Formats: sequence, structure tokens, C-alpha cells
Amino acid sequence: MKYVFIILLFLGCCGVGYFFSLKYSRRKKFFNSLIALADKLSLEINFSRERLKVLLQNFDATAKKDLLGIDETFIAYLDKTQELSGDAIFKKADCLKQDEKDAVLLFLKTLGRSDVENQTKEIQTFISRFTEFKKQSDEQQKKYGSLSIKLGVVAGLFLAIILF
Amino acid sequence: MLQKILPDKFYKILSEKVNMKSVNEIRLRADKPVVINVSGKAFFLCENGVTSNIKNALYASKIMIEDVIFRASECSIYSVNEQIKKGFIVTDEAVRIGIGGNLIDEQGQIKTMTNFTSCNIRVPHVVKNCSLSAFPLLFSDGVVQNTLVISPPGCGKTTFLRDFVFQLSQHEITLNVLLLDERGELDCGINSNYTDRIAFSTKKVGFENGIRSLGPDIIVTDELGQEQDIEAVKMASSCGVKLLASVHADSMEIFQTKALFKGILQEKIFKRFVLLSKRNGPGTLEGVYNENFARLALGRL
Repeated sequence: MKYVFIILLFLGCCGVGYFFSLKYSRRKKFFNSLIALADKLSLEINFSRERLKVLLQNFDATAKKDLLGIDETFIAYLDKTQELSGDAIFKKADCLKQDEKDAVLLFLKTLGRSDVENQTKEIQTFISRFTEFKKQSDEQQKKYGSLSIKLGVVAGLFLAIILF
Repeated sequence: MLQKILPDKFYKILSEKVNMKSVNEIRLRADKPVVINVSGKAFFLCENGVTSNIKNALYASKIMIEDVIFRASECSIYSVNEQIKKGFIVTDEAVRIGIGGNLIDEQGQIKTMTNFTSCNIRVPHVVKNCSLSAFPLLFSDGVVQNTLVISPPGCGKTTFLRDFVFQLSQHEITLNVLLLDERGELDCGINSNYTDRIAFSTKKVGFENGIRSLGPDIIVTDELGQEQDIEAVKMASSCGVKLLASVHADSMEIFQTKALFKGILQEKIFKRFVLLSKRNGPGTLEGVYNENFARLALGRL
């Protein structure tokens, strides 16, 4: 019974470490997908000039999963069924920092509001900004993401040794 | 259809307290009262519907106007920039929205319009049988005559043209009709099995392509107003295609003084002129005239 408890405690500590590291990988994936979406929008707005809603709906389903629901909320805003506010947009995106949320919200607010030339320029500006965020999230994931897992394992081992 | 584009507050009042069938226009101007044109008369929008008292009027803001234009473009202004450059947007439901703002000009070419400060939402109506009393007079020996519908703006020219196409189908006249819909507002609820449509094209290109590829018997188009429109009319007429078009003018006398139409009037390309006014509400038929501007007796089929 004692050994089972120690193993469970060890696994629990590893789980907590992994949980904290997830926040960093979700943030990194989010910016990867957001940049992919912005690239697609920039390209399509220039060539097909397709409506924003259609472009969002046709965005790659795998990458969509990493957008933490902001695409769905934005489509609801386009359909006039939801307000475009930070609370609504970032309901599932608790891993983002405030300045990142502000930039994403501003990006969404500028979409569809100008002609092709200006819209493309705006999107490119945002892509540069998101690339910076991605770089930061990448570094933080490497630094703190793996550190969280290591700390979890160490804490688990430490408790296991004490209890043993 | 207006629910999608109007601010919720305004739409709620309009749908609950105003008879939408009689609304012709909704005008929003930044920091000015909202003006509603009901059966040809202007009123202010208020909490209880419409009013003539400006004290009770509801005001539009610049943000509201920007939002109306954003929504009308299906949240994609970039996709309708060509229309915006011409000063309007037409929605999928044929609602035409005239826009006021700053035109951005670069080396003599209009690039776009920004800083929207006003918009005029024209509510389209299908008024069944509105062309019926003029309908028989637009034929001679069973052949449709080249016809020009004349009226000031907002008097029902487009509605008349739509109903004429509908009447052709109703009377089992199996002529192929080409709707040359330059601004995308002509084809609103026309139920005809013999109608083709070319939209958002200039008259010159539309006439040339349409005649070459679709072989129409009649071309129906809105608002002739430029030299190249007249050239297109002459070209179509010389090809034996019948024409039904509209033009802005207050009266027959004013129309006859328009320099642009001097040539085609001398050539007597148009054989019928239909004059509309707002006298008894938009679409009031003032008269049908022949190529010598003699008034024809109105009848009903």
C-alpha cells in the first residue's frame, strides 16, 4: 500500500509539472497557428478577395484547434451574435499575456475594415508582431516548459525518497 | 435583410414601430438625426417610430456608419472596394447603400474611400404590377419598343424596370431578357424564366459581351448617364436588340434639354418614354410618351 501511494505521489508531481509546461506549449502553438492564419488571410485577401467569414471557416482544421476558440468567437461576432470583447474572445486563452491579448484583439478589430492594400499592410505588421511573440513563447517554452517537468520529477522523487 | 446591417437599436424600432413596406430610404449622417423616407416623405427616427419633431430624433454616430458599411460588405470592405470607389455598396439582397466620406486619390486615380461620414440605405421593393398600366403602351404590333424610364431619384425607376421584366414572364412573352445590372440592385426578386444577368459591369462591356454571348431580345439596364452608355445604346440598337433603360430627369422638358441625349433623340432610338414621379408616392405614373413626345393614353391590361 505504501509503495502504491509513493508511486501515485510521484506520478502526481510529474503531472503537475507537465500541466504547467502545457501552458507554454499551448501559447507557442497558438502563435504558430495565428501566424499561419494571418498569412493565409494576407494571401487570400490579395488574390481571391473572398469574404472574411469564408476564409476563417476554410482555415486548416488542425491549425484551427490551436487557436483556442478565438476563430469561433470572431465568426460569431461577424454573424452579429457576439460582441468583440477581450472577455469573449479569450475565454479559453488563459495562457496568453495581457499585451499579447491586446495585440490579438486589435488584429481582429482591424480585419475587414479597409481596402486590399491597407489590409495587407496591417496584416503584415501584425505578423511581425506575432512572430516576436512566437519567438518569446518559444524561448519560454524551452526554458520554463522543460523546467516545469524537471521540477515535477525532482519534487516527486524527493517526496518518494522521504516517504520511503 | 436590414437586420444584418443596421445598428440593433434602429432595427428594433424600424421593425416594431414602422411599416417597413413604405420605407424607401434610411439616411445616417455622423452626429445628425437619422432620417427615414417613408412613402416619399422625410421623417426623423425616434424611440416611438418616426417623427417630424427633431427634438425626439435619434442620432447616428460615425462608428455606427462605419459599422453599417462594414456589415454591408459582409465584414470584408476589401472585397467591395471597387464599389466603394464609385460611392456605394450593394448587398446580396440588392440593398444599395450610398456612401459619403473621403475619397483617396493617387495620381488622378481613386484608390478607395475612407473616413465614412454618411450613408443612404435604399430599401428595395418589389411592387407587383406597378408597370402594368404602362405595359401595353410599350409594345407596337406585338414588338417591345425601346423605352426610357424617366424620373428624379427615388421615384421607382428600378422598381418599374423589375416589374416590367416580371410582366413579360407573366404575359408569357418568351423573349430573352438580359439584365445589365451595373450596380447589382436590379435583380431583386424578379421571377422570370427567360432572364440572364450580367452584374457589376460597365454598360459598354456588358452590352458587348451580353449581345455576343447571350443573344438577348431585350436588354434592361438602369441609369444611362455617360457618353459611353449612349454609345453602348446605339450599338445595341444597331444590332436589333430592344432596350429598356432609365435616366434621371425631373420632367420631359428637362430631359429633352440634356445634351447627352440629343443625338439619340434626334435618331429616335427610343420610341417610348415613361415619366414617373413621387406625386402620389414613389412610382406615380405621370405618362407614357412616344418618340415625338406625344402623350399616349394609359390603359390597363
